[in-house]
Amino acid sequence: MIATALGEVPALPLHTAGKYVAGAYIVLFALVLIYVAIMAIRLSRLERDLGELLSMSASSPEGEQAPEPTADMAEPAQDSHAESTPA
Amino acid sequence: METSSRAASRPLRYGSGLRTLSISTVVAMTVALALVFFYVPLEAEQGFLQKIFYVHVPLATVALCGFVLGGLLAIQYLRTRDPRWDMRSYVVIHMSLIFALGTLITGSIWAKGSWGHWWVWSEPTLVSFLIIFLLYATYQPLRFAIEDPERQARYASVFAITAGAFVPLNYVAVNESTAYVHPRVFSSASNLPASMSFTLLVSIVAIALLFATLCKYELTAKHTRSQVRALRRRLAGEELDAPRRARSAAPAVQHATAVSMRAAGRPGL
Repeated sequence: MIATALGEVPALPLHTAGKYVAGAYIVLFALVLIYVAIMAIRLSRLERDLGELLSMSASSPEGEQAPEPTADMAEPAQDSHAESTPA
Repeated sequence: METSSRAASRPLRYGSGLRTLSISTVVAMTVALALVFFYVPLEAEQGFLQKIFYVHVPLATVALCGFVLGGLLAIQYLRTRDPRWDMRSYVVIHMSLIFALGTLITGSIWAKGSWGHWWVWSEPTLVSFLIIFLLYATYQPLRFAIEDPERQARYASVFAITAGAFVPLNYVAVNESTAYVHPRVFSSASNLPASMSFTLLVSIVAIALLFATLCKYELTAKHTRSQVRALRRRLAGEELDAPRRARSAAPAVQHATAVSMRAAGRPGL
Protein backbone atom coordinates (compact mmCIF):
# COMPACT_ATOMS: atom_id res chain seq x y z
CA MET A 1 0.00 0.00 0.00
CA ILE A 2 2.82 2.37 0.92
CA ALA A 3 4.69 1.36 -2.22
CA THR A 4 1.60 2.15 -4.30
CA ALA A 5 1.22 5.53 -2.61
CA LEU A 6 4.90 6.34 -3.16
CA GLY A 7 4.60 5.19 -6.77
CA GLU A 8 2.03 7.89 -7.39
CA VAL A 9 4.27 10.59 -5.92
CA PRO A 10 6.19 12.44 -8.64
CA ALA A 11 9.95 12.02 -8.58
CA LEU A 12 11.86 14.92 -7.04
CA PRO A 13 14.03 16.83 -9.53
CA LEU A 14 17.23 16.22 -7.63
CA HIS A 15 19.45 16.63 -10.68
CA THR A 16 19.11 20.45 -10.86
CA ALA A 17 18.38 22.43 -7.70
CA GLY A 18 18.20 19.33 -5.55
CA LYS A 19 21.63 19.75 -4.01
CA TYR A 20 20.79 23.26 -2.79
CA VAL A 21 17.43 22.21 -1.35
CA ALA A 22 19.00 19.16 0.26
CA GLY A 23 21.77 21.37 1.67
CA ALA A 24 19.27 23.79 3.23
CA TYR A 25 17.27 21.03 4.90
CA ILE A 26 20.45 19.26 6.03
CA VAL A 27 21.48 22.52 7.76
CA LEU A 28 18.24 22.47 9.77
CA PHE A 29 18.69 18.79 10.56
CA ALA A 30 22.33 19.33 11.55
CA LEU A 31 21.45 22.20 13.90
CA VAL A 32 18.91 20.03 15.71
CA LEU A 33 21.31 17.07 15.74
CA ILE A 34 24.13 19.16 17.22
CA TYR A 35 21.77 20.44 19.88
CA VAL A 36 20.67 16.89 20.74
CA ALA A 37 24.33 15.84 20.97
CA ILE A 38 25.08 18.75 23.33
CA MET A 39 22.07 17.81 25.45
CA ALA A 40 23.29 14.21 25.56
CA ILE A 41 26.69 15.36 26.87
CA ARG A 42 24.99 17.54 29.48
CA LEU A 43 22.74 14.67 30.53
CA SER A 44 25.68 12.32 31.03
CA ARG A 45 27.45 15.03 33.10
CA LEU A 46 24.30 15.47 35.17
CA GLU A 47 24.08 11.73 35.71
CA ARG A 48 27.69 11.70 36.90
CA ASP A 49 27.02 14.62 39.27
CA LEU A 50 23.99 12.87 40.70
CA GLY A 51 26.08 9.76 41.27
CA GLU A 52 28.62 11.86 43.19
CA LEU A 53 25.83 13.42 45.23
CA LEU A 54 24.46 10.01 46.07
CA SER A 55 27.85 8.88 47.32
CA MET A 56 28.21 12.16 49.27
CA SER A 57 24.82 11.71 50.90
CA ALA A 58 25.65 8.11 51.76
CA SER A 59 28.88 9.16 53.48
CA SER A 60 27.36 12.17 55.30
CA PRO A 61 26.71 12.00 59.11
CA GLU A 62 22.96 11.76 58.47
CA GLY A 63 23.59 8.79 56.23
CA GLU A 64 25.73 7.14 58.92
CA GLN A 65 23.00 7.62 61.53
CA ALA A 66 20.39 6.09 59.28
CA PRO A 67 19.17 2.62 60.29
CA GLU A 68 20.59 -0.41 58.62
CA PRO A 69 18.73 -1.27 55.41
CA THR A 70 16.27 -4.07 55.83
CA ALA A 71 15.11 -6.59 53.31
CA ASP A 72 12.09 -4.51 52.25
CA MET A 73 14.21 -1.35 51.69
CA ALA A 74 15.23 -2.02 48.13
CA GLU A 75 17.92 0.24 46.64
CA PRO A 76 18.63 2.51 49.61
CA ALA A 77 20.79 4.82 47.47
CA GLN A 78 17.85 5.71 45.27
CA ASP A 79 15.67 6.35 48.31
CA SER A 80 18.14 8.84 49.78
CA HIS A 81 18.35 10.59 46.40
CA ALA A 82 14.58 10.93 46.23
CA GLU A 83 14.52 12.53 49.66
CA SER A 84 17.21 15.04 48.89
CA THR A 85 15.96 16.08 45.46
CA PRO A 86 13.92 19.28 45.56
CA ALA A 87 10.39 19.23 44.24
CA MET B 1 10.56 43.45 45.69
CA GLU B 2 7.54 41.87 47.39
CA THR B 3 6.26 40.78 43.99
CA SER B 4 9.67 39.36 43.21
CA SER B 5 9.89 37.32 46.40
CA ARG B 6 6.32 36.07 45.97
CA ALA B 7 7.06 34.99 42.41
CA ALA B 8 10.35 33.42 43.42
CA SER B 9 8.69 31.42 46.18
CA ARG B 10 6.73 29.38 43.64
CA PRO B 11 8.46 26.07 42.90
CA LEU B 12 10.08 25.97 39.47
CA ARG B 13 8.83 23.35 37.03
CA TYR B 14 10.31 24.00 33.60
CA GLY B 15 9.93 20.35 32.61
CA SER B 16 6.15 20.18 32.84
CA GLY B 17 4.51 19.79 29.44
CA LEU B 18 7.83 19.02 27.77
CA ARG B 19 6.68 15.64 26.49
CA THR B 20 3.52 17.04 24.91
CA LEU B 21 5.50 19.87 23.34
CA SER B 22 8.11 17.47 21.97
CA ILE B 23 5.49 15.18 20.43
CA SER B 24 3.67 18.19 18.92
CA THR B 25 6.94 19.38 17.41
CA VAL B 26 7.73 16.02 15.83
CA VAL B 27 4.20 15.75 14.39
CA ALA B 28 4.24 19.35 13.08
CA MET B 29 7.71 18.94 11.52
CA THR B 30 6.67 15.70 9.83
CA VAL B 31 3.49 17.25 8.46
CA ALA B 32 5.38 20.33 7.27
CA LEU B 33 8.02 18.27 5.45
CA ALA B 34 5.33 16.08 3.88
CA LEU B 35 3.46 19.15 2.65
CA VAL B 36 6.63 20.76 1.30
CA PHE B 37 7.79 17.75 -0.69
CA PHE B 38 4.57 15.95 -1.60
CA TYR B 39 1.74 18.47 -1.60
CA VAL B 40 2.72 22.00 -2.56
CA PRO B 41 3.23 22.49 -6.32
CA LEU B 42 6.51 23.63 -7.85
CA GLU B 43 6.85 27.37 -8.26
CA ALA B 44 6.85 28.51 -11.90
CA GLU B 45 10.04 30.65 -11.89
CA GLN B 46 12.39 28.96 -9.45
CA GLY B 47 11.02 25.44 -9.58
CA PHE B 48 12.34 22.98 -7.03
CA LEU B 49 14.80 25.54 -5.60
CA GLN B 50 11.85 27.43 -4.11
CA LYS B 51 11.40 24.60 -1.56
CA ILE B 52 14.12 26.36 0.49
CA PHE B 53 11.51 29.08 1.05
CA TYR B 54 9.67 26.75 3.49
CA VAL B 55 12.67 26.38 5.77
CA HIS B 56 14.40 29.74 5.28
CA VAL B 57 11.42 32.04 5.87
CA PRO B 58 10.12 30.22 8.99
CA LEU B 59 13.63 30.17 10.48
CA ALA B 60 14.00 33.92 9.86
CA THR B 61 10.50 34.70 11.18
CA VAL B 62 10.96 32.68 14.36
CA ALA B 63 14.47 34.05 14.97
CA LEU B 64 13.33 37.67 14.64
CA CYS B 65 10.25 37.05 16.81
CA GLY B 66 12.53 35.36 19.33
CA PHE B 67 14.77 38.42 19.51
CA VAL B 68 11.73 40.62 20.15
CA LEU B 69 10.43 38.13 22.74
CA GLY B 70 13.82 38.24 24.46
CA GLY B 71 13.40 42.01 24.80
CA LEU B 72 9.90 41.62 26.24
CA LEU B 73 11.15 39.08 28.78
CA ALA B 74 13.96 41.46 29.69
CA ILE B 75 11.37 44.18 30.36
CA GLN B 76 9.63 41.75 32.69
CA TYR B 77 12.94 41.14 34.48
CA LEU B 78 13.52 44.85 35.00
CA ARG B 79 9.98 45.21 36.34
CA THR B 80 10.11 42.32 38.82
CA ARG B 81 13.87 41.68 39.30
CA ASP B 82 13.00 38.00 39.34
CA PRO B 83 16.06 36.13 37.96
CA ARG B 84 13.81 33.64 36.18
CA TRP B 85 12.82 36.29 33.62
CA ASP B 86 16.47 37.02 32.95
CA MET B 87 17.07 33.30 32.46
CA ARG B 88 14.13 33.08 30.02
CA SER B 89 15.34 36.13 28.11
CA TYR B 90 18.86 34.66 27.94
CA VAL B 91 17.66 31.28 26.68
CA VAL B 92 15.28 32.78 24.09
CA ILE B 93 17.98 35.09 22.70
CA HIS B 94 20.51 32.25 22.71
CA MET B 95 18.14 30.02 20.75
CA SER B 96 17.17 32.84 18.37
CA LEU B 97 20.83 33.32 17.59
CA ILE B 98 21.13 29.67 16.58
CA PHE B 99 18.01 29.97 14.41
CA ALA B 100 19.42 33.17 12.89
CA LEU B 101 22.58 31.26 12.01
CA GLY B 102 20.39 28.68 10.29
CA THR B 103 18.63 31.50 8.43
CA LEU B 104 21.92 32.91 7.20
CA ILE B 105 23.18 29.54 6.00
CA THR B 106 19.95 28.52 4.27
CA GLY B 107 19.64 32.01 2.75
CA SER B 108 23.17 31.78 1.48
CA ILE B 109 22.46 28.40 -0.11
CA TRP B 110 19.33 29.83 -1.74
CA ALA B 111 21.31 32.82 -3.02
CA LYS B 112 23.90 30.49 -4.55
CA GLY B 113 21.21 28.46 -6.30
CA SER B 114 19.26 31.52 -7.41
CA TRP B 115 21.94 34.14 -8.16
CA GLY B 116 25.08 32.05 -8.43
CA HIS B 117 26.72 33.80 -5.46
CA TRP B 118 26.89 32.72 -1.83
CA TRP B 119 26.61 36.30 -0.61
CA VAL B 120 25.63 39.63 -2.19
CA TRP B 121 26.74 42.65 -0.17
CA SER B 122 24.47 45.05 -2.07
CA GLU B 123 21.34 43.17 -1.04
CA PRO B 124 19.75 44.96 1.96
CA THR B 125 17.86 41.95 3.35
CA LEU B 126 20.98 39.82 3.64
CA VAL B 127 23.16 42.56 5.08
CA SER B 128 20.56 43.82 7.56
CA PHE B 129 19.97 40.30 8.84
CA LEU B 130 23.72 39.85 9.19
CA ILE B 131 23.86 43.10 11.20
CA ILE B 132 21.14 41.81 13.54
CA PHE B 133 22.99 38.50 13.88
CA LEU B 134 26.28 40.23 14.68
CA LEU B 135 24.51 42.56 17.11
CA TYR B 136 23.12 39.64 19.06
CA ALA B 137 26.42 37.77 18.79
CA THR B 138 27.79 40.37 21.23
CA TYR B 139 25.12 39.50 23.82
CA GLN B 140 27.01 36.58 25.35
CA PRO B 141 30.40 38.34 25.51
CA LEU B 142 28.63 41.30 27.12
CA ARG B 143 27.22 39.05 29.82
CA PHE B 144 30.53 37.29 30.30
CA ALA B 145 32.33 40.62 30.73
CA ILE B 146 30.27 41.49 33.82
CA GLU B 147 31.04 39.47 36.93
CA ASP B 148 28.38 40.70 39.32
CA PRO B 149 25.23 38.61 38.54
CA GLU B 150 22.78 41.41 39.34
CA ARG B 151 24.59 43.95 37.18
CA GLN B 152 25.04 41.33 34.46
CA ALA B 153 21.30 40.68 34.35
CA ARG B 154 20.45 44.38 34.39
CA TYR B 155 22.87 45.37 31.61
CA ALA B 156 21.90 42.34 29.52
CA SER B 157 18.23 43.27 29.89
CA VAL B 158 18.88 46.81 28.71
CA PHE B 159 20.77 45.39 25.74
CA ALA B 160 17.97 42.91 24.96
CA ILE B 161 15.33 45.65 25.06
CA THR B 162 17.31 48.05 22.86
CA ALA B 163 18.26 45.40 20.33
CA GLY B 164 14.74 43.94 20.42
CA ALA B 165 13.33 47.35 19.48
CA PHE B 166 15.85 47.57 16.64
CA VAL B 167 14.60 44.34 15.03
CA PRO B 168 11.13 45.53 13.85
CA LEU B 169 12.56 48.91 12.85
CA ASN B 170 15.13 47.16 10.74
CA TYR B 171 12.45 44.95 9.18
CA VAL B 172 10.39 47.98 8.15
CA ALA B 173 13.47 49.76 6.78
CA VAL B 174 14.46 46.78 4.67
CA ASN B 175 10.94 46.34 3.32
CA GLU B 176 11.02 49.95 2.17
CA SER B 177 14.26 49.36 0.36
CA THR B 178 13.91 48.05 -3.18
CA ALA B 179 17.40 48.68 -4.51
CA TYR B 180 17.98 45.05 -5.33
CA VAL B 181 15.60 42.21 -5.97
CA HIS B 182 15.82 39.69 -3.15
CA PRO B 183 14.79 36.21 -4.31
CA ARG B 184 11.34 36.62 -2.85
CA VAL B 185 9.10 34.34 -4.76
CA PHE B 186 6.14 36.53 -4.04
CA SER B 187 6.09 40.23 -3.36
CA SER B 188 3.64 39.82 -0.48
CA ALA B 189 1.94 37.05 1.43
CA SER B 190 -1.40 37.94 -0.16
CA ASN B 191 -0.05 36.82 -3.56
CA LEU B 192 0.60 33.30 -2.33
CA PRO B 193 -1.62 30.56 -3.75
CA ALA B 194 -3.69 28.85 -1.05
CA SER B 195 -1.62 25.66 -1.05
CA MET B 196 1.65 27.58 -0.67
CA SER B 197 0.39 29.90 2.06
CA PHE B 198 -1.01 26.91 3.96
CA THR B 199 2.29 25.05 3.69
CA LEU B 200 4.20 28.16 4.76
CA LEU B 201 1.90 28.57 7.76
CA VAL B 202 2.37 24.94 8.81
CA SER B 203 6.15 25.32 8.38
CA ILE B 204 6.18 28.44 10.56
CA VAL B 205 4.14 26.65 13.24
CA ALA B 206 6.49 23.64 13.08
CA ILE B 207 9.64 25.78 13.40
CA ALA B 208 8.03 27.84 16.18
CA LEU B 209 7.20 24.62 18.05
CA LEU B 210 10.78 23.44 17.55
CA PHE B 211 11.99 26.76 18.96
CA ALA B 212 9.67 26.49 21.99
CA THR B 213 10.70 22.89 22.64
CA LEU B 214 14.42 23.64 22.47
CA CYS B 215 13.97 26.66 24.76
CA LYS B 216 12.08 24.51 27.25
CA TYR B 217 14.75 21.81 27.09
CA GLU B 218 17.42 24.42 27.70
CA LEU B 219 15.55 25.97 30.63
CA THR B 220 14.90 22.56 32.17
CA ALA B 221 18.53 21.52 31.75
CA LYS B 222 19.86 24.74 33.28
CA HIS B 223 17.43 24.57 36.16
CA THR B 224 18.19 20.91 36.87
CA ARG B 225 21.92 21.61 36.85
CA SER B 226 21.35 24.52 39.20
CA GLN B 227 19.37 22.27 41.54
CA VAL B 228 22.14 19.68 41.50
CA ARG B 229 24.68 22.37 42.39
CA ALA B 230 22.45 23.61 45.21
CA LEU B 231 22.14 20.07 46.49
CA ARG B 232 25.90 19.64 46.35
CA ARG B 233 26.34 22.82 48.37
CA ARG B 234 23.82 21.64 50.89
CA LEU B 235 25.58 18.32 51.32
CA ALA B 236 28.90 20.14 51.60
CA GLY B 237 27.42 22.36 54.32
CA GLU B 238 27.66 25.59 52.31
CA GLU B 239 25.14 28.42 52.16
CA LEU B 240 22.82 28.17 49.15
CA ASP B 241 22.98 31.92 48.58
CA ALA B 242 26.79 31.95 48.52
CA PRO B 243 28.18 33.72 45.45
CA ARG B 244 29.16 31.52 42.52
CA ARG B 245 32.86 30.92 42.00
CA ALA B 246 33.29 30.75 38.23
CA ARG B 247 32.38 33.63 35.92
CA SER B 248 29.70 32.72 33.42
CA ALA B 249 27.62 34.33 30.68
CA ALA B 250 24.59 32.35 31.84
CA PRO B 251 22.31 34.01 34.40
CA ALA B 252 22.72 33.15 38.06
CA VAL B 253 19.73 31.06 39.02
CA GLN B 254 21.04 29.61 42.27
CA HIS B 255 19.22 32.28 44.25
CA ALA B 256 15.88 31.37 42.67
CA THR B 257 16.68 27.71 43.18
CA ALA B 258 17.52 28.30 46.83
CA VAL B 259 14.28 30.20 47.38
CA SER B 260 12.37 27.46 45.58
CA MET B 261 14.01 24.75 47.71
CA ARG B 262 13.18 26.66 50.89
CA ALA B 263 9.59 27.03 49.68
CA ALA B 264 9.47 23.27 49.18
CA GLY B 265 10.21 22.94 52.89
CA ARG B 266 13.51 21.07 52.67
CA PRO B 267 15.08 20.70 56.13
CA GLY B 268 18.37 22.35 56.88
CA LEU B 269 18.10 24.99 54.17
